[in-house]
Order: sequence, then structure tokens, then C-alpha cells
Amino acid sequence: MTQYAIITDLNKCVGCLACSVACKSANSVPVGSFWNKVLRIGPNPRYEGAVLPDVEMYFLPVGCQHCADPECVRVCPTGASRKLEDGTVQIDKSKCIGCQFCAMACPYNVRYLNEEEGVVEKCTLCEQKVAQGELPQCVAQCGARARFFGDLDAGYDSFVAPGRVLDYEATYEQVHDARVPMLQAVQEFADDQVVVLPNVGNNPSFAYILRDMTWKGGE
Amino acid sequence: MELQWPLIVFTTLVAWSAGLFGTQALLAAGGHAKGSQTPAWVASAALLAAGGVAVFFHLEHWERIFNGFGHLTSGITQELIAVVALAAVAVAYLVAMRKSDDGASVPRWLCWVAVAMCAALVAVMAHSYTMAARPAWDSALWILYALGNSCALGPCTMAVIMELKGDNVKPVALPALIGAAIAAATAVAFAAFLQASGGSFAEVGYYFDPTRPTAGMAAAAALVAAQAPLLWGGAVAVGGALPLAAALVGGRSGSWKAWGALAVACALVGAVCLRVVFYELGLSVFMFY
Repeated sequence: MTQYAIITDLNKCVGCLACSVACKSANSVPVGSFWNKVLRIGPNPRYEGAVLPDVEMYFLPVGCQHCADPECVRVCPTGASRKLEDGTVQIDKSKCIGCQFCAMACPYNVRYLNEEEGVVEKCTLCEQKVAQGELPQCVAQCGARARFFGDLDAGYDSFVAPGRVLDYEATYEQVHDARVPMLQAVQEFADDQVVVLPNVGNNPSFAYILRDMTWKGGE
Repeated sequence: MELQWPLIVFTTLVAWSAGLFGTQALLAAGGHAKGSQTPAWVASAALLAAGGVAVFFHLEHWERIFNGFGHLTSGITQELIAVVALAAVAVAYLVAMRKSDDGASVPRWLCWVAVAMCAALVAVMAHSYTMAARPAWDSALWILYALGNSCALGPCTMAVIMELKGDNVKPVALPALIGAAIAAATAVAFAAFLQASGGSFAEVGYYFDPTRPTAGMAAAAALVAAQAPLLWGGAVAVGGALPLAAALVGGRSGSWKAWGALAVACALVGAVCLRVVFYELGLSVFMFY
């Protein structure tokens, strides 16, 4: 089995919004819709009663979590929303009747009605790029190299980000295809430092690494 | 979330239609309301049809509805199946009625099938909205509330029709009273659930959305508090208590034209008020965008 996903190291994310902008550009996301959006969480006190400077803050990029048990797929009357063999949740726009029950069933508000086309849209995990061996645009453009794309079922070893090529003579393809494994690009983390957005039975596939701070937003 | 008026109208009219058809079948099972059977059937069918038209306004691409429609785990598909099943029962009911000697009698078994199908349609319709992603919607109390709508709207409408058609209204007094009482009780129960839903959302402390720099932080507790007047005043007092009082007075006086109409009008206002609150509080569990 395959379950494509993105893991974001929140200790590295600087909240530059490059992922949001890159997503909009690569996927022609309409004004007002955000297939990838970033929330600033905090500043929150490190402990009860704490005041500045004892506060902590992180940025949280959120998009479709390509859940293992997606409610959006369950409620879709026409099968327009479906889970593919690569684990991603995709929408067949030609089947969508625009009932928006999938948007209601999503716990994260990451599905949007494209009012011009009358269909619901969301993050596709850049399937058009992944199919060609490229990375999702939000991973490719991440300003802090905090986002990593891979297959959850293949383990953390499979997660990669764009690599650095310092060779002056390197070709475009060499630079373009360069990858750095997540486990080399992030500081060590424990299993309990890998968290997911609130799970109400949908089992989100995307994960976040957060060290030395308190994860907000439940489990 | 934004108010979805087509769905508000649809769920209200379906509850009304099913309640009316269920009540006429209930009375027919006891051999009552013979003069009112045909007009009640027509009114019920008209309400269901109007609800069906309303729901199409919600769909962006209704012309694709049969393009793969039939995903059985979908609440919408289940609703469509229930509507078709009820329509089949309603047609059989009409045929049986027209074929009977007095033009208004229906086999008892078919009456009870009709009552069961009416309850099933309303329950299936309400169930399609129970989603773990929306804590304020995720309760069996919502299903009971929708059934309560039918219990008040159906008998009270039937009582008005019966008086207009000159039927003996005595048999409908008890169903109307019990129905209004069920509606009031379920309204109170679901209103209490909605009121308590403010604590069901994920909390992240302070936060800021850079894409909407002027938007304030979402505060579920404040939102719930802001809906309290509509919830308790509109849905419970007007939509629950007044129909109960009207049904009580209507039953005692035997005069349903005014009291039945008042009960129906109040129940409709209450049903719409609660559905408005339902959507206003229908925030996703991670409600920060």
C-alpha cells in the first residue's frame, strides 16, 4: 500500500507563506480559496501564568490531510471524491454536483467551492507534478525546507525535500531532481513529537514534528 | 458556516410533509378522517415536491445528479432512496384509497407501513447531517428533533384540514397534543446540546491568520452565546412551547382552524430558527479558518 503525505517540521517553519503562494500559483487556486494556508499559533505561555518572554509560537501550514478514512469520500453522493491507490484523496470535477457535503464533512475547512465552475476543490498533493517525479509545489518552494514529501507506509526514510547542489557545473535537471532525505535535514525527533491535527475518526495522513513546544489543537 | 437556505427549506418541508402523511395514515388505521384523506395526501405530496425543488437550488450542478449518483454511504444518496421509497408507498396508499368502496379507506398494514416510512425518511434526512467534523451537528438529538418537527407539524396540519373538511376532529386531538409535546421536549433537548457545543471544538490558545489579518479569533463560546436568543426564544419558546399550548387549547375547544394554524405557524418559525442556529454553530472541529 502507498499513502503519500507531507510531514512538516514546525520547528523549522518560519511562516513565510511561500507554500501558500506556491500552491496558488501552481494550481490556479481562485481568490479567496486556500488549498494550503498557514496559521500562526501563539504566542502562548510556556506554562500557566507565564508572561513574555516565557512564550512560544509556531506556524501551522494546513491543507487537505489526505486522510486514511476520509469522511469527505464517505459522504460524496456521486463518488466524485475518492481515495486513490497512492493514498491521496482526489475530486473528479466532472462528477461533482456541488452539494458541498464533503466540505461540511471535512474537520479542517480545507475544501472550497469554486464558484465559477460550481465544483468543490482542494489540495491534490500536486498529482500532476508527482506523476512526473516532481515534488508538490509547497514542498518544492518551502523557504525553510521544513516540508517533506513521501510515503507514510514506506516510513520516514522515504520523505524528501529539494536538495542542494553546489556543483557549479550542475545541469538544470541535476538541480531540479536533487533531493535531501528528511532524516538528514531535520534535527532528531521522538515518536511523541510527531503529531497530527485533531482526529475525529478520519485519521489524517499528514504529520507535524514539534519539539520543545506544546502542541495545540488536540489529537 | 453560511446559512444554506435551500437545505433549511428542504429539511423543514420534508419534516412537515412526512408528518402530515404519517398522521393521515395513523388516523386512517383507526378508520378516522375519511373526508380529509385526499386533501391531506395532496398537501403532503405538494410539500414534498416543494422541498425537492428547494434542494435543487442548493446543488451547483443538478444536471449531473444521475451521473454516478448512488454512493450508498452518502447521506444524500440515502435520502434519495428514502424519498423514492416513501413516494412508492404514497402512490400505493393513494391507489388503495381510490379503489376502496368509500374512496378513503386504506388497509391497516399499509397505514402502518406509511407511518414507518415517514419516520424513516425524516430520520435518514437528519442523519445525513450528523458529522464528527461538526460537533454541534453530531448528535442523535438532532434526529429526534427533526422527528419532533414532524410530530407537531403533521397532526396540527391534519387537524386544520379535518375541520375544514367537516371531519370529526376528536381523534386528532390526542396525536396533536402528544406530537406537540414530543416536539417541545426534543427542541429543549437539542437546544441544550447546541448550547453546550461551545466546548467541543479544538483550542489553540492565541492565534493569527496571516491571510485574513483583520479577522478576529474564532470564539465558539461567544458564538454560541450570541445564538441563545434565537435558540431559546425562537426554536424553544415559539417553536416548542406555543404549539404545545395551541394544541392543548385546540384539543379542549375542538376548534382547530385557528389553534391548529397557530400551532403550525409557530412550529414552522421554530423549525427555521433552529436550523439557522444549526448552521451558525456548524463550525468544523478545527474552526480557525
